[in-house]
Amino acid sequence: MDIVDEIRALSGKYPDRRGALLPALYVVQKEAGWLSQEALDTVSRALNLPQATVKGVATFYSMYKHRPMGRHLIQLCTNVACMIMGAERLVDLLKEKYGLEPGGTTGDGRFSLVVMECIGACDRAPAMLVDTDFHAGLTADNIFRILEEYE
Amino acid sequence: MIKVTIDGREIELEHPVTVLEAAKQAGIAIPTLCYFEGLTPFGGCRLCLVEVEKLPKLQTSCTLMTADGMVVRTETDQIRAARRSMLEFLLINHPLDCPYCDKAGECELQDLVARYGPEAGRFAEGKRRHPESFDDPIIVRNMERCVLCTRCVRMCNDLQGSYSISVTGRGSHSFVEPFSGGRYDCEYCGNCLTVCPVGAIMSRLHRHSYRPWFVEKETETVCGFCGVGCSMVLQMRENSIIRAIPRRGIGFNEGLLCVRGRFGYEYVEGGEELTTPLMKVDGELRQVSWEDAVSFVVKRLREIRDEFGGGAVGAIASGRCTNEDNYMLQKLVRFILGSNNIDSAARNYYAPAELYLERIFGQGITANLISGIANSDGVFVAGGDPTAINPILGLQVRSVWRSGGRVIVLGVPGGLKRFIPYELTPVPYSEEIVLSAIVGRLLEDKPLRGENAALEAKLRSLRIPSDDELGATGVSSEDIVRVAGDLSSMTTPVVVIGPDVVQRKRASKSLFLLGAIAYLTNARIFLLAERPNYQGLLDMGCLPELLPGGRPVELEMFRHKTEEALGMKAPEEKGLNLFEMIEAAAAGRLKALYVMGENPLFNIPDSAKVEKALENLDLLVVQDVHLTETARIADVVLPATAWPEKEGTFTNLERRLQRVRKARRGKMASYGRDDWKILADIAERLGMTKTYHRVEDVWEEIMHVSALHTGLGYEEIAGGSALWPYYGEPLRGMEGDFPVEGLDELPEVTVPEKPYLMIDRPLYHSGTFSRRSKALLGIHPGPSLVISPLLAERHGLSDGDKARISNGRGVLELKVKLDGDIPDNQVFLANTFEGFGAMGLIGFGTDSVLGSIYIDDNTVRVEKVLR
Amino acid sequence: MERFLLKNIESPGSADIDEYLRVGGYASLKKAFGMEPADIIAEVKAAGLRGRGGAGFPTGMKWDFASRDPKFPKYLICNADEGEPGTFKDRPILEKNPHLLIEGMVISAYALKSERGYIYLRGEYPYAKAVLEKAIAEAYGKGFLGPDITGSGFGFDLSVHQGAGAYICGEETALIDSIEGRRGQPRIKPPFPVNVGAWGMPTVVNNVETLANIPLIVSMGAEKYSAIGNPECPGPKLFSVSCCVERPGVYELPMGITLREIIYEHAGGIRGGRELKAVIPGGISTPVLTPEGLDCPMDFVNLPKRGSMLGSGAVMVFDDTVCLVKVCWRAMRFFEHESCGKCTPCREGTGWMRNILERIENGFGRDGDIELLQDIALSITGKTFCPLGDGAAGVVLGFIRNFSEEFRYHIANKECMVNEGA
Repeated sequence: MDIVDEIRALSGKYPDRRGALLPALYVVQKEAGWLSQEALDTVSRALNLPQATVKGVATFYSMYKHRPMGRHLIQLCTNVACMIMGAERLVDLLKEKYGLEPGGTTGDGRFSLVVMECIGACDRAPAMLVDTDFHAGLTADNIFRILEEYE
Repeated sequence: MIKVTIDGREIELEHPVTVLEAAKQAGIAIPTLCYFEGLTPFGGCRLCLVEVEKLPKLQTSCTLMTADGMVVRTETDQIRAARRSMLEFLLINHPLDCPYCDKAGECELQDLVARYGPEAGRFAEGKRRHPESFDDPIIVRNMERCVLCTRCVRMCNDLQGSYSISVTGRGSHSFVEPFSGGRYDCEYCGNCLTVCPVGAIMSRLHRHSYRPWFVEKETETVCGFCGVGCSMVLQMRENSIIRAIPRRGIGFNEGLLCVRGRFGYEYVEGGEELTTPLMKVDGELRQVSWEDAVSFVVKRLREIRDEFGGGAVGAIASGRCTNEDNYMLQKLVRFILGSNNIDSAARNYYAPAELYLERIFGQGITANLISGIANSDGVFVAGGDPTAINPILGLQVRSVWRSGGRVIVLGVPGGLKRFIPYELTPVPYSEEIVLSAIVGRLLEDKPLRGENAALEAKLRSLRIPSDDELGATGVSSEDIVRVAGDLSSMTTPVVVIGPDVVQRKRASKSLFLLGAIAYLTNARIFLLAERPNYQGLLDMGCLPELLPGGRPVELEMFRHKTEEALGMKAPEEKGLNLFEMIEAAAAGRLKALYVMGENPLFNIPDSAKVEKALENLDLLVVQDVHLTETARIADVVLPATAWPEKEGTFTNLERRLQRVRKARRGKMASYGRDDWKILADIAERLGMTKTYHRVEDVWEEIMHVSALHTGLGYEEIAGGSALWPYYGEPLRGMEGDFPVEGLDELPEVTVPEKPYLMIDRPLYHSGTFSRRSKALLGIHPGPSLVISPLLAERHGLSDGDKARISNGRGVLELKVKLDGDIPDNQVFLANTFEGFGAMGLIGFGTDSVLGSIYIDDNTVRVEKVLR
Repeated sequence: MERFLLKNIESPGSADIDEYLRVGGYASLKKAFGMEPADIIAEVKAAGLRGRGGAGFPTGMKWDFASRDPKFPKYLICNADEGEPGTFKDRPILEKNPHLLIEGMVISAYALKSERGYIYLRGEYPYAKAVLEKAIAEAYGKGFLGPDITGSGFGFDLSVHQGAGAYICGEETALIDSIEGRRGQPRIKPPFPVNVGAWGMPTVVNNVETLANIPLIVSMGAEKYSAIGNPECPGPKLFSVSCCVERPGVYELPMGITLREIIYEHAGGIRGGRELKAVIPGGISTPVLTPEGLDCPMDFVNLPKRGSMLGSGAVMVFDDTVCLVKVCWRAMRFFEHESCGKCTPCREGTGWMRNILERIENGFGRDGDIELLQDIALSITGKTFCPLGDGAAGVVLGFIRNFSEEFRYHIANKECMVNEGA
């Protein structure tokens, strides 16, 4: 199915097509891993919404990305529970091992790192999402074993 | 009745309003920042906090509705401390660059801090940085100064309906941006500039060249660009316009302006204005004195009249000149030179449309209030985009949609695209079929009421297209059912008619059909007007068949009334219209043409033909502000004053008389003179005995001569309610029968191989004036051919490529611009830029009923220009 | 205590509809269809159920308001935007017991005469999204969703709407804006969503746990239900316990249980037998308590008396190795990041406070910083558009009120009072 058709199909779930804006942004973000101006324009045309409106909404939510991302996106929680359970150490390790800083991407384009707010896994902290996979109970040892699975 | 107590004052309210509004009614001003009258409340800035008894927390008065018995305090220590805190918060990331900021002096934040503090800052951290954006030619955006009141965004979305800017990001990293993040690419109404309380969005036009307190003089006047007639204030310093701004409370435009009104004024200061009269000597225009020029014109006019008779003289009046100017031209031609050959570019559309509708429904049928459109529950638009031709009227149409009404547009919806539930775009020149089908369907729902016998008789003999015939238009019978259903369900509809309706074959039929829709649905009719004083042209008698006050020249009773009032004689037979004058000039029957404030060589189709005709004249006089295409081939050119230098009146499309006031004096002694003065001078030399000292003298004569204007002095006009003496009923009754061409026929729809060249009417330009405005040129710098992506693909063209369009009338090479919203078989070109006017390539015929012209042969060959 | 909400979640197939049916699922729905909608609302009112999202608003009253509004359609929205740091209580329902939520929503929709529902699920729970979507498809398959549910004549459609990382969307009006495809910013109230909510229509927004309680109330009846826990705000409650305890996790316990019981009897006490230093009882937005507050009953009534709130019931336990200045700083970084930007004090004040806390934490604190922090917090309190700003201010005020010494030590000595990781 064409991406525009996919977006238009989503709008059937809502009494007003604008309701499909957040899901539509996920659909276009899935294509390239981030939302380019062209991607936003696609959504704007598919839902017949003003471009500026689409951009205003897309930039409000932190899970929409507005810069190119690596092949895999690591979203590591550093909120209070994860911080207490060692998330900061993991951030340091990612820098040491991959040269990866929060907000950055590895030189080979393999990983991007975003430190995020509470991921809702405080009982198994620290935790992260890699793309849409959830990993918890991270330690200095297992985090790299997990990440090595992502090419 | 609601009783509330605010600061000890008891206030009685009929309806619940916000505490802020209630306080305002009682004369208590509560400080605000994000609140702006006319915008939906936001409640974000937290400055209007007040104490309300029995409520534990401070409340925002802009969002809190009054309730009976409510006791409110607006200035207490607690409130002042809270306001100081809010201001301190706003200042922590504010650059405090007031000495450098153009807003200083009229900055709401500055004024509030002066009142509430804080006196000193406690913020010792680094301020948020965000570089100022100069990406746009008109608007400079400084997001460090922004207080995120969102007034600009609410203005852009809710009132303007442009949806061009948005708050992006979140929290303290929120910024107001257009989609591009740089250039606005918006409608450039500049209404966001009006509402910005700080120096976050500023105009670049006079950046760092003045301070608000430098304004020496403010002149309240009416915009000179289109037929809406928005009120505005010209702020002046040293005889130069600093800003053109709207102001709530003056005019019906409620503090809104469009791009042309706000930024287009610069054409008078471009330095290209004519400064001295010019005369053709040895085939070249040379500077001469006023005396030489005027006495030459007088001598030649006299000679031509004496030798060939008054009928050899003609004049073209101007929709951008005042009533007084046009009246005087008409007086000169008709009563001094003895010719009814007077017309204007209103002949292209406005005049025939109005005169024809008045034949059907009676005089004054189009006199309806623009501000009333917003109250209607449905609009039918045909023949042009109101948001581009008459932008402020267009906003009213948009607001119908916003309040739940239906907007139906026949043709490309343009600026109404977001405000319509469905498109109705028939193939070009098949509109007549679609309108016939709509009327046919409406007749099934709406009984004939017997109020207009002639119209109803014609409806009975109207040929309704079959589904097959309709099929050729690209509009389905389901579409027709839907449109007719929507029209039927409207209780207070409006029909808006634009120029394209008239510029089609069998225009009388299309106008009749639109009139029938209005009749059947009981709609009010509006005619879009491209120039500020098209209506005034009609009222002042700048028509070959009508005298001032709309009196038919050929009806002796009416003519006599006018002649008696003036003590002068007019010719008995109606004169030549604009196109007939061109024909007569080409044939050598018309010898002299006096052109005031018009550029026929550019504004009438088939330029080559027009040029040949004008070259054939014995005398061509052009009176204008600039050396236009027509002025260049004139025998005499007389420099005139421009709109901000004039005193007088305009009559807008709702027939409201409004005062145009002089803001600027001519720069030199030899600089342009007022049109009416030049004409009065010539008339006096040709034997007119009356002398006019001031423009008021001219107006007084108009009041005396025209029954329409009786009792409407400048004072009444300045009051703002000087509408034509129209009380909701036609002035004259219906006149019996009227002709309609091809009532029982339907056109054959053919799709030509080559695309049609259509006249683009862009928002940013409206002709030879707008192309001299630096600001408007900044937004829309040059001619471009607007084509659909499909057509572009077929010709291997992409955005910005150069294309050649050609037909038997000429060849143009220009840049193409792709637009997904326009149909495949049409290309659009504005009639704005010198050497690139669309009119040049368009052929025309004359409508037998309306005397107007219709576009006849306008296909063009499109090719890519290879570098 | 018998578990109701987390019943059977250890069973491997607990999220499957067959397993749910096997342990008696959708029986409450059948019972509900035998009742009049008004009677269900009355039952929920009588049960004394208070919203589990944080504010504790009586659910029956909310439903009553919405059902009295004559406008249709009405919308039912499940707030699964569990974003309050420390909170993960809804997650086991969403991931392991989704049919309990769906059943609760169908019953609620029937009571409210709503035919359309959405589960607003936070973007950070992609796994839960997959589980919910599968469960919804199963429910459609078995006729528990869609037109004419189990022959009752009542129809209800349900879908998941995924959020995208904005804490503020947990606030119900911001959530509605977000579902409508807008920037999720709180709306002016009144009008309240029960009258003018999603797309201008009456809308009920209830938390996951709240809706999960509905089948229980229907099956056991208001009287029996209200005997659980504190009579003033009865019922089972999910507590998320995290940070420095031996057994962090979600515990379903009666409302009104004390912090001490939760930490020491259920969560295994402080990790490594260390000393308890501070505890946040209801998620990061609720003011911190000292160990003196351990015997406070955990409910909507008693915690406010101790200067804190039940919030989402997220118990965050800090032992003596934790630097509270740092916790306070990190919390403020969160509030700054999540402030929607609509109102001045929250937008600007959270960043300012974070700045100061960051300086103190990094050893650049100055005399007067504590007083300035308090002053900023008080300037925010009570003046923001929504509770987010109040929460942020309350956190700073709570930490300074209870642990000012630690802050002063930090400023004076430019280092932590505690040795982290000790």
